[in-house]
Formats: sequence, structure tokens, C-alpha cells
Amino acid sequence: MSLEFAYYPGCAAKQVQKEAASSAEAVAKILGITLKPMPRATCCGAVSLRESKPAFSLAVAARILTEAEAMGHDLCTICNTCLQTLNYANYRFKHEPEILEQINGVLKKAGVRPYEATIKVHHLLWVVTEQVDPQVLQSKVKKPLNGMNVAPFYGCHSQRPGEIFEARKGENVDQLDQLIRAIGGNSVQYDGKDKCCGFHVMLSDKNEMRTMVGQNCLDAKDSGAEMMISPCTLCDMAMGAYQGPAEKVMGKSIDLPEMNFAQLLGIALGVDDATLGMARLHVDPVPALKKRNI
Amino acid sequence: MESRKYTLRIQRNQKQDDGSIASEWQEFTVEGGETTTILTLLESVKGYQDGSLTFRQSCRSAICGSCAMRIGDRTRLACKTHIGSVVDENGLVSISPQRNQPVLKDLAIDIDPFFKKIKEIKPYLLDGPESDTQVGASAYDQVNNVTQCIMCGSCYSDCTMSEVSENYLGPAALAKAFRFVSDPREGKKTERLKSLSEDHGMWSCVRCVQCVATCPKDVKPMEAIVKLRTRGIEKGFIDGVGQRHAMAFHNDITNTGDLNEFTLLSRSVGIFGSIAELGVAFHLMKKGKIPSPFPHKAEGIQEVRAMYKDLEENPLDVETKAAEVEPE
Repeated sequence: MSLEFAYYPGCAAKQVQKEAASSAEAVAKILGITLKPMPRATCCGAVSLRESKPAFSLAVAARILTEAEAMGHDLCTICNTCLQTLNYANYRFKHEPEILEQINGVLKKAGVRPYEATIKVHHLLWVVTEQVDPQVLQSKVKKPLNGMNVAPFYGCHSQRPGEIFEARKGENVDQLDQLIRAIGGNSVQYDGKDKCCGFHVMLSDKNEMRTMVGQNCLDAKDSGAEMMISPCTLCDMAMGAYQGPAEKVMGKSIDLPEMNFAQLLGIALGVDDATLGMARLHVDPVPALKKRNI
Repeated sequence: MESRKYTLRIQRNQKQDDGSIASEWQEFTVEGGETTTILTLLESVKGYQDGSLTFRQSCRSAICGSCAMRIGDRTRLACKTHIGSVVDENGLVSISPQRNQPVLKDLAIDIDPFFKKIKEIKPYLLDGPESDTQVGASAYDQVNNVTQCIMCGSCYSDCTMSEVSENYLGPAALAKAFRFVSDPREGKKTERLKSLSEDHGMWSCVRCVQCVATCPKDVKPMEAIVKLRTRGIEKGFIDGVGQRHAMAFHNDITNTGDLNEFTLLSRSVGIFGSIAELGVAFHLMKKGKIPSPFPHKAEGIQEVRAMYKDLEENPLDVETKAAEVEPE
């Protein structure tokens, strides 16, 4: 099976969370996944564009999807919100032919290839856990996690609403748990694992957002987590970079290293620290890694 | 139907003299088939094992909304939930009261905070200048899902914003508000959108979609919230952080294609808001997390601009329409 995808990292991974992109690209290479750039792709618009300009948001998504379709590949992303936005549009295009026709009319007038609604939208995490041969993954692990307790933080937009995610196998959202176990860690079960990181109200409801970050992190820590990983560059920003501001709102120290799943996978696969952007993490993961002799 | 043993792990809650709640988990072994409902099993515990177990129930038909409680990983109606669909590999399921409201005893909660918010949005048609006397067939397209709400509070219990905010209206009240905003007979649609645009209203939803996943009646509260926001922006209620943030996207996409994260902050919270955020900005800067002011430019950006112009001149209605609801 050929693992080639049109690669759509999303705005955050091109800018503030660029370590997620360099890590994803490095692990993909090691695991035999080819990620091809999409030079024409724009920002997906997130739910924000759906709210402010509903029809334009579908046209923007169709233009992104048709680029991948023209390349002859499914699309693969590393951002939950891009994943949900593109899957939401794709689900509508596949189930509402009249909407697809109307949007294609807009695309054609603007000189864009019409979208035929033939491709699927994947998350790199799903590709790694569901399409890469588990034995191949095992054989590439150079530094296993030695039983480290890792909290999976899924993020809302890779889970809900369930029906739109055509490229995910089954109803169960356990891909991070699978990945943690596959690289020698122990996946920590805690209440906050499928809750919200608060990213989308970071500016409008500041204290509430920081409380979400604080509660989810403390919940994971109280359940024994030494590290937290997420499949989303926006969750990374919230749970990692905003952990400091969250500590101020919670009035106590959290100190839980958080990183993108591709970074922890990269550590296990022996990718160098510079490529993984270890210096860009807000909570230093080195003590937690050293404790497990990694 | 084959019968087997299941374990209900029930959170027992008892109010203490000082007003606090003492909480402990208690396991009960019950017998039933895969499709026996949680409510039937709770009744058998109350009838044959421990008469002091307290929970609400009434219609047994997913209509009254009384028996919503946390069953397994989310809030569900006990009368609609089959034991076989929620137990783990050992045949065990945890049952606890709804979240985000005060617990009274065992699985019963004080539902006043939830209903206070429903009342806050004035859940009835208001007289006013926008009242239409003609109700067309398509009017039902938008109120269809939201009128199915049975006020069980499941969405409120699982709402991630309600968990951290006492003031947030919550999914059910906002879905109900949408029901009136989209009803042709409603006389004060614009006034409603104005008050819903205030703090702790429709712009405080985090878009986690938990309410859509949880709702036992397919109300899809978050879909209603997204549509409320679109209508609010259309009416010009754009003077809030959430609205300004949402508005930033189409400008950036038609400008370079990518979001300009560098200027997003000042456009969302304004210059004074940005100064207040400086502490966080310095915190982010330490790790090189201040974005470039010049994002990458996508190829063929003129196509995106043409699409935008076309849709501004020839608007398309792409709102989801609810299908006729079949009886369950």
C-alpha cells in the first residue's frame, strides 16, 4: 500500500507551532509516508469562517480539497481544527450533491478545478496508527519510552461530530493510546482526555480558557502523567504555551511537559532535538525523559 | 434475550450537616439482557437491594427528560440507554449525577441553574415589529432540530464551557434562543441577537461539539449556536472579541491565503486588549512563538479573491436544513 498524501499542515504548524510540522515531516519520512506539499492551499478558515461567511467557507474548503484530488491523493493534516473543518465540508459535499454543484459553480467561475468529492481527509496520527504496519513502527523505535506515563489529550476536533470522519477506523477514539503503547509508554486514563483545550476562546473568555487548561493538566498529573501529548497544533499551543498563564489563574504550579504526538514519536524514533524543536517547548521535557533513561 | 450479571458502580452522594456533599462509589450486581435499560436496573437496585438509592425518573420513554445522568463517559438518559452498549469488558459501568449543577442526593441534582438560563433567554414568542403573520413551509427547516429539546440538561452537564463558567448560557438555552430567532412569528429577532451577543452568550461557546455528541434527541445545539453567530454578524453585532476574531479569517484568506497570526491578536482584542495580553506575549516570545508578520502567500490567491467577490455579489444559502423527523 502506498502511503502518499497531499500534505496540509495548517496555519499554526507553519507559524507558531512549526516544531509540530518539522517533527511530523521527520517521522513520516522514517515510517515511509510521503507528504507532498500543496502550494495553492490557503487557511481552512476554521469554524470562524463558517460563522462569518458560510458559503465562502465551503468554497475555500472545496478549493483545498480539489488541489489534493488533482494531485491524485487523499489529504493528510496535523491540525485537529483543519481536520474537522475539511471533513465537515467534505461530508456535506458527499451527502448534499446540490451544495457541491453550487459550490463547484463558484469554483469554475473563479478558474478553479471543480471538486469531484472523491478523496478522504486523514490525520497523520490515524495514518501512523491505522495504516503503517505495526511491525514496521516497532522496528523503527530506537528509544522506547520505558514505561513512561503519558496522558493522551485528544482535542475536540478530531473526535466530534463522529459521523464526519470518514478516514478514521471505527467509532473508538484511541489512536493516541495505541501510539503511546506502541512506543513503550503507558497511556494514562483521566477525565480530561476528551475535553476542550479552550483555544477557541483564548481571547474572548480568558479566565475560562486558562481554567480549562489548568484543570485538564492537573487532572492528567493527578492521574500519574509525566508527559502529555496531543494530535493538534492548537491544543499544543493551549496546553503547552498557555500552561504558564493557567498556573497564575489556578494559583498553583502544574509543570507538566506537553508536546505534539509527532514530537514524542520523533524522540522514540531517534530524531534529533533540533528537528523536533525541543527548545521551543514551554515546559522542559528533559527531566521527565531523563527519569525514564530516554 | 440471554440474561447475565452486570455491575453498576454508582456514586452515592449524601449531604452533610455543614452543607457539603460526602461522596463514595458503591457497586451493585444486577442481572439483565444486553438491551435492558439502565433505568430498569436502577429500579431493581432500589426495589430489591437498597431502597435509599435516589434518582429522578418518570416517563420511561425519553420524553420527560428526568433521568439524565452520567452513564459511562457521558451524560445519557437512563431510560434510553441499554446496559450492553455502555459496559466495559468486565460488564461494569459507572453512574454518577449530572455535572455542572449542585448535587442533592445520590443521582439527583438541583436543576434550577439550568432552568434559570432557559428563562433568561425568554423562551416564548415576543410581540414586536419583526413579527411575520405568514409562516411558510420552509420556516420549519431551522426550528425542526431545536424543537425536539426535552430539557433533560444532558448538554449542560457535558458542556466544557459550563464546567468553568457559571455565567455562560449553555447549549440548551442557546439552542432554544435560536428556535425563536428563526421563527417567523417572533417580533424581536434583532433585539434577541443583540443580547445574545453580549458576554457569556453565544460567543463563549468553545465549539467542542460535546453537546451535539451528547444530546439524546439530536437537537445539535452547537449547530444552532454557529447559525446564531452568523445571524448576529449579519445584523451588525460585531463589537466583541469573538466576533472580531471570526471576521479576521475571510480578510486574511483573501489577502495572502494564510491566517496572519501576528496581527490577529490586535484585530481581535484591539490595541488596549493587546497591551493587556503583553504578559502572555513576552511569555510566548521566550520560546520564539511570536509569528511572522508576513505569512506565506498561497499560489493562485486571485482565485480565492474571485470566489469571495462572486459570493458577496451572488449570495448562496448553504445553511443545513433539518429533515422531517421520523417517529423513533
